[in-house]
Amino acid sequence: MSTGAMEPTAGTGPEIAPATRWIEGTPSLHRITTDISRPMEAKPGRGWWICFGIAGAAVLNLLGMVTYLFAKGIGIWGLNNAVGWAFDITNFVFWIGIGHAGTLISAILLLFRQKWRTSINRSAEAMTIFAVMCAGLFPLIHMGRPWDAFFIFPYFPNQRGPLWVNFRSPLVWDVFAISTYFTISLVFWYLGMIPDLATLRDRAVSGIKKFVFRILSMGWNGSQRTWSRYEIVSLVLAALATPLVLSVHSIVSTDFATSLLPGWHTTIFPPYFVAGAIYSGFGMVLTLLIITRQTMHLERYITTNHLEAMAKVTLLTGSLVGYAYATEFFNAWYSGNVYERFHFINRATGPYAWCFYLMVLCNVLTPQIFWWKRARRSIPLLFIASILVNVGMWFERFVIIVVSLHRAFLPSGWGMFYPTVFDVGILIGVFGLFFSLFLLFIRALPMIAMWEVKGVAND
Amino acid sequence: MTDRFVVGSFGEPGTMLAAVDALRGAGVAIHDVFAPYPVHGLDQAMGIRRSRLPLVTLLAGLGGLCFALAFQYYTAVFDWPLDVGGKPENSTLAFVPVCFELTVLIGGLGTVGAFLLRARLFPGKREQLAALGVTNNVFAIVTYAPRDANDDELARRIMLENGADEVEEREGST
Amino acid sequence: MTNRRPSCEEAAHAAPGGGEPLVQIGLPTGTRSTGFDATRRDVLSLMGFSLGALGVAGCRAPVQHAVPLPTASVEMVPGVPNLYATTCGGCSAACALVVKQRDGRPIKIEGNESSPLTGGGTCAAGQASVLSLYDDARLRGPSWLGNPVSWPEMDRHIRTALGGHSDAREVVLLSQTITSPSTRAVLEDLRAVFPKFRHVVYDPMSLAPLRAANRLCHGVAVIPHYRFDRARVVVGLEADFLGTWLAPVEFARQWAQRRKAGAERAFHVQCEAGLSVTGSNADLRLAVAPSDLGRFAVALLAAVARRLGDEQPAGLDASALAQETTHAAAVDRIAAELVRSRGESLVVSGSDDVATQIVVARLNAQLGNIGKTVDLERPSWQRQGDDAALPALINDMNRGAVHALMIWGANPVYDHPDGAAFRAALAKVALTISFADRRDETSAHVHAVCPDHHFLEAWGDAEPVAGQFSLRQPLIAPLHDTRAAVESMLAWADRPADHRSVVRDFWRRALYGRTTPAPGGFEDFWERTLERGVVEIPRPPVATHPFAGDWEGAVRDIISRGRANRSGAEHGGGYELALLETVGARDGRHANNPWLQELPDPMTRLTWGNVACVAPETAAALGVATGDVVSLTTEIGKLELPAFVQAGQQRRTISVAVGYGRWAAGKAGDGVGANVFPLARVENGARRYWARVAIAKTGRRARLAPAQTHFSMEGREIVQFEHVNEHEHEHEKLPDLWRERLRGAHAWGMSIDLDACTGCSACVVACQAENNIPVVGAEQVRKSRIMHWMRIDRYFEGDGEDARSLHQPMMCQHCQHAPCETVCPVLATTTSSEGINQQVYNRCIGTRYCANNCPYKVRRFNWHNFTANDDFPYNMQSPLGRLVLNPDVTVRSRGVMEKCNLCVQRIQLGKNQAVLQRRPMADGDVATACQQACPTGAIVFGDRGDPDSRVSKLLAGQRAYNVLEELGTRPNVGYLKRIARKEST
Repeated sequence: MSTGAMEPTAGTGPEIAPATRWIEGTPSLHRITTDISRPMEAKPGRGWWICFGIAGAAVLNLLGMVTYLFAKGIGIWGLNNAVGWAFDITNFVFWIGIGHAGTLISAILLLFRQKWRTSINRSAEAMTIFAVMCAGLFPLIHMGRPWDAFFIFPYFPNQRGPLWVNFRSPLVWDVFAISTYFTISLVFWYLGMIPDLATLRDRAVSGIKKFVFRILSMGWNGSQRTWSRYEIVSLVLAALATPLVLSVHSIVSTDFATSLLPGWHTTIFPPYFVAGAIYSGFGMVLTLLIITRQTMHLERYITTNHLEAMAKVTLLTGSLVGYAYATEFFNAWYSGNVYERFHFINRATGPYAWCFYLMVLCNVLTPQIFWWKRARRSIPLLFIASILVNVGMWFERFVIIVVSLHRAFLPSGWGMFYPTVFDVGILIGVFGLFFSLFLLFIRALPMIAMWEVKGVAND
Repeated sequence: MTDRFVVGSFGEPGTMLAAVDALRGAGVAIHDVFAPYPVHGLDQAMGIRRSRLPLVTLLAGLGGLCFALAFQYYTAVFDWPLDVGGKPENSTLAFVPVCFELTVLIGGLGTVGAFLLRARLFPGKREQLAALGVTNNVFAIVTYAPRDANDDELARRIMLENGADEVEEREGST
Repeated sequence: MTNRRPSCEEAAHAAPGGGEPLVQIGLPTGTRSTGFDATRRDVLSLMGFSLGALGVAGCRAPVQHAVPLPTASVEMVPGVPNLYATTCGGCSAACALVVKQRDGRPIKIEGNESSPLTGGGTCAAGQASVLSLYDDARLRGPSWLGNPVSWPEMDRHIRTALGGHSDAREVVLLSQTITSPSTRAVLEDLRAVFPKFRHVVYDPMSLAPLRAANRLCHGVAVIPHYRFDRARVVVGLEADFLGTWLAPVEFARQWAQRRKAGAERAFHVQCEAGLSVTGSNADLRLAVAPSDLGRFAVALLAAVARRLGDEQPAGLDASALAQETTHAAAVDRIAAELVRSRGESLVVSGSDDVATQIVVARLNAQLGNIGKTVDLERPSWQRQGDDAALPALINDMNRGAVHALMIWGANPVYDHPDGAAFRAALAKVALTISFADRRDETSAHVHAVCPDHHFLEAWGDAEPVAGQFSLRQPLIAPLHDTRAAVESMLAWADRPADHRSVVRDFWRRALYGRTTPAPGGFEDFWERTLERGVVEIPRPPVATHPFAGDWEGAVRDIISRGRANRSGAEHGGGYELALLETVGARDGRHANNPWLQELPDPMTRLTWGNVACVAPETAAALGVATGDVVSLTTEIGKLELPAFVQAGQQRRTISVAVGYGRWAAGKAGDGVGANVFPLARVENGARRYWARVAIAKTGRRARLAPAQTHFSMEGREIVQFEHVNEHEHEHEKLPDLWRERLRGAHAWGMSIDLDACTGCSACVVACQAENNIPVVGAEQVRKSRIMHWMRIDRYFEGDGEDARSLHQPMMCQHCQHAPCETVCPVLATTTSSEGINQQVYNRCIGTRYCANNCPYKVRRFNWHNFTANDDFPYNMQSPLGRLVLNPDVTVRSRGVMEKCNLCVQRIQLGKNQAVLQRRPMADGDVATACQQACPTGAIVFGDRGDPDSRVSKLLAGQRAYNVLEELGTRPNVGYLKRIARKEST
């Protein structure tokens, strides 16, 4: 937030070697506009339809299963007295984690003047918003009585006498953290899109399109006076969003860290969760961008340099996560606490050990290939790695939640969790929801920030 | 009220910047410049003062913080104190996360709100384009049209000298 | 605590037609039919309707002996429970009860504290028996040849079938043990009416050998009245006297009195094949195969004799006898203990072998226990069954000698090895009558089914132990068109009388004379007895003579058979099948009671079915794991059951619980488990409860429904021990992060004595009945979703045969620093001003965070709607079954968390009582359901704010500790360490 931050016109940061080009060739401003608008103006190709068909089917399945869930109760899941949370909260934490890359790229990289963010921040932010929407679904449907979900908000007038919520409960912190995060991300995303919406408005031929974009673009006309305020606001939002993004997953981690359960009751959870979140987020961004740049022919704007930069972040955060795993084991041993020790022995040798090893394989070993530049620049490798990272991060949450719960303090209360068809179905359905939203996004809105790319292109 | 303007359209940010400098050197008041992206150095060239929006952020944020603290304290200590796990009614530490979130939320929304007000942007507002394509690839300098005839050509001349593709006089409302 | 009513009759004197007994009617007579459909909430309105209904009923004769609620307002205070004393009909122990009645419905069984035998304790089956009253499977009325008929028709049919009484055609009554003196008197009258009347007593789990042995040794065929409270050394030989044997509630109480006696603490040795409740509580437990039990007794006898310098069995030297058992060393030590406390020791055996029983009698005689711990002069009248009689009866029936057969409380088709033969023989009898309350395995094959009342609808009396009488009075008008068996029999004998006057007249005639006359005469005596429920009326001692049995013959017999056995064991597998009773299933008569079906067996923690318990070593040898279906083949039959690897099980023995595998018990009981009764043969007239068996894997697997899957404490200090004469250690208090919060008038707490808790599980069912806890069924139990608020955790210490089993009642610990409360987002669980961790159902949104954060895992979640939901067809689904619900306790909806609340409704009731009586609350005003049910007084509830309360004193004591204390949860529920004797370790 130095004065430098206040002067958007200050030159490129020293981090990026001037040699690196973030756009291939030197397209004219008009070329950039047309290139990026193409997906929204052309008819969707077969590839898009296939993807959307699959994702849409998954969404229908989600609707059906959630309806049945509300009708029958969460007994249709595999949960039980020993394991009170499993797929539901695993999915919740997973999607919240995914949501972190977007804000990180758009906010933190903005503060750090990372020019390479310009081509990817828009779609990354969109991904954030969709991921948070998916995540938000679970606190609702995991409740025993979802129709009373509003109890969790401190609302007024309060029909139930002066009965408020328990501000000591991390679940209430979650409510505030996630709603704030969602709102700020949405505003940030939308604000960033206004100039491009104006561009689309002015390109629009059909009346409806023009009408819609006119409403959305709020009469933007590219006035420099507005531009200068606009950049200040972007910086302010970035400055707010940066601590916010760190706070959100820290708070989510307190759901576990503030409890007394061995495997949950750990002080390293906040940084550990944030690293994991950025890690999984970048994994998901890689997956999506690799797909879209191929299908939408945007290789010119989403270059291998972008992918390589993300690979580096993945390597860093992946190693951080691996370090966190090791720390947990060390502390369990060092604490001398019988319950802690038992839990970690059980994590590595118990009935769910395979989940643990799968998690280590995907999260710790996979990113190590990115020490090699060749690997960082190989599209297939990046794609496979990004998928593995997401699998691993899902299992990390599963291990933390289920393995800690299933064998806690009193052996008499030990049990096992076996997923039912509804657990799995809803997991798949939510992925469907996420991808449907993203597919619609790339058709309806500019998935690359034209005005920012133009700025970069003409430096 | 409607007014008359001289509008010069440029295809290159460089030439446009030069024109701005030249115009201000010649003492022609620049109404505004319209560009598809924020051109570096234009603010200084136009002499736009730094926005005071961050102040709004600070105030809104502090407001959010105070509200959060007061609200949690009121509900947990005054309105209905309950024995929750034997913890003190005023568990201040536990209130911190919510305080932080509300600071950010209200601070952020306040800033954006103030910006939209200040820039007079609102959904459905009819846009006023200085020139076709200012949202695509055109940079337009808009100066007030001169009142008297003798320096009638000044603005137009300077712009053309600096490589304006086209200069025209238009009516518009500020 | 509540207004305890002398009797349902009190108001009768005021009521018109004074003499008529007055019974609180729970249901309108008009609604007595299968179509009956009322929810708990409807009942009151229905009762209003019942006046009209009764008017209609009144037009018919005889008039129902009941009045509707509106006119009974004298006693009925809406919302205030009435308590009536009565007598349990759950088994032949006939425990004295006080039954809680709300709005005319009996809803909860409590023990009668004025009973000198039980002192207020009950057992799981007794607690559950109130649910059987509302069992859908009960017959709605009499039926002749399968068609419903009215009682007059029925009587006509039967009279014609009986064809007068003068002639010499044999009329037989086959019944379970009848402890009711008035009924026994009635049977005498029947003898007068029917010249060839015969009464055959039959118990599925019989003690005939014990009575036979006493006949041979002391001249009286009785079951002695054992006095465990007088015994400093107790040796149990295959007698689960704390769980199921004879009178477990009474014995558990006596045993616990000795256990708590500090220095006088009894030394308890248990020898048994399968791990039983009693064995798990013994100071020393020896695993002895059924075929070795006799030899063990002989060795013990020899060792005792040697120490007493007493004569040895002729022709056999002690050292040789000592080698008869594998436990020679232990035997010697036990003998030493026994001899040291001569006259204060007790050897009991449930053996099915007369010779063994003779040896045991000899042991008690030699130790001078007769008349001290073994009371033959005032014997027990329970388990009078005669093993030889039933096979004989079957022969007579086949010979056609039996003209009419009445079956009362017996179900031999199900629970006798010759069941099939009996069923066939039924066809040869001209008239077969059953008093069964349902179309069970036996009554399905008789001509006339004349359903008897449930004991809560009936009059009666009992004399379980000579001189100890108790009365039974109805708490509700018969729900269905049933009639007391006594009334039926008298009607057919042309001596119609209503059961109440039968009982009353008998007491006036036969018993009142023997009491010290009351000032108010008999009426007064009758009133007081009805109110108190129990009365002690001395009776002349039974004439016995000192031990004069041929014990040497018995010894030789045992030795020779034992040798044969051993050689037999060498070839032919060598495994033995041992039948055992469990506290839930007992002999199977309660099979349709879902509470008992879902009650985790304290020894296996399994619900909904029985298993073949196999020792770990044996399982390894056979390559069998828990859940593998094994086939058990004895000389008379084959059975397939899932195996269960049970530590403490005797290596050569496979134990299987009886009471399962019913096929005509009802919706809940049918097809649960397998029926093992037929596998044990009847051997020269005596029933055997073990048999040589061949065990084989079938390769199939079964899914058990366990309530607990892990039995090791993993080295955690969960059940803690106190070693006798261990030096005092200071109990340091953990530091507190926060200031102590202000408490209200009370600080409720509970103490649980792990040394007195036997694991009998009466508390579990009591809690279920008191708190409307739903039954969820085997499938949900498999998913570990059992709903019990109170559970009895079972852990093992050590392994193999010597493994010792530990029981720990576990329920919400009511932490003052409750982890569950901090995490609840909506404040649905908080600590009350009186220290109770309370759950607010209608605020709970079901995030289950509290359950995840509960270190004791005592919170229970409503995963489905368990009430009025056809997916869970148990009592809460049936409108009739829902009548058992406690109106003081919310029925939880789907998706909310629930758990123990220290019976807050009982606390409130206690407070109200105190207020009404204008006095402060006293210690003991409130007893939680689990505490009230506990036969050993292991659970003590009270105000920890009052330093003089029992609970405060106990929790301040040396043995007190909290589970998982190191977590700093500061529970209000404390435990007293189990006492470990050096001998046992």
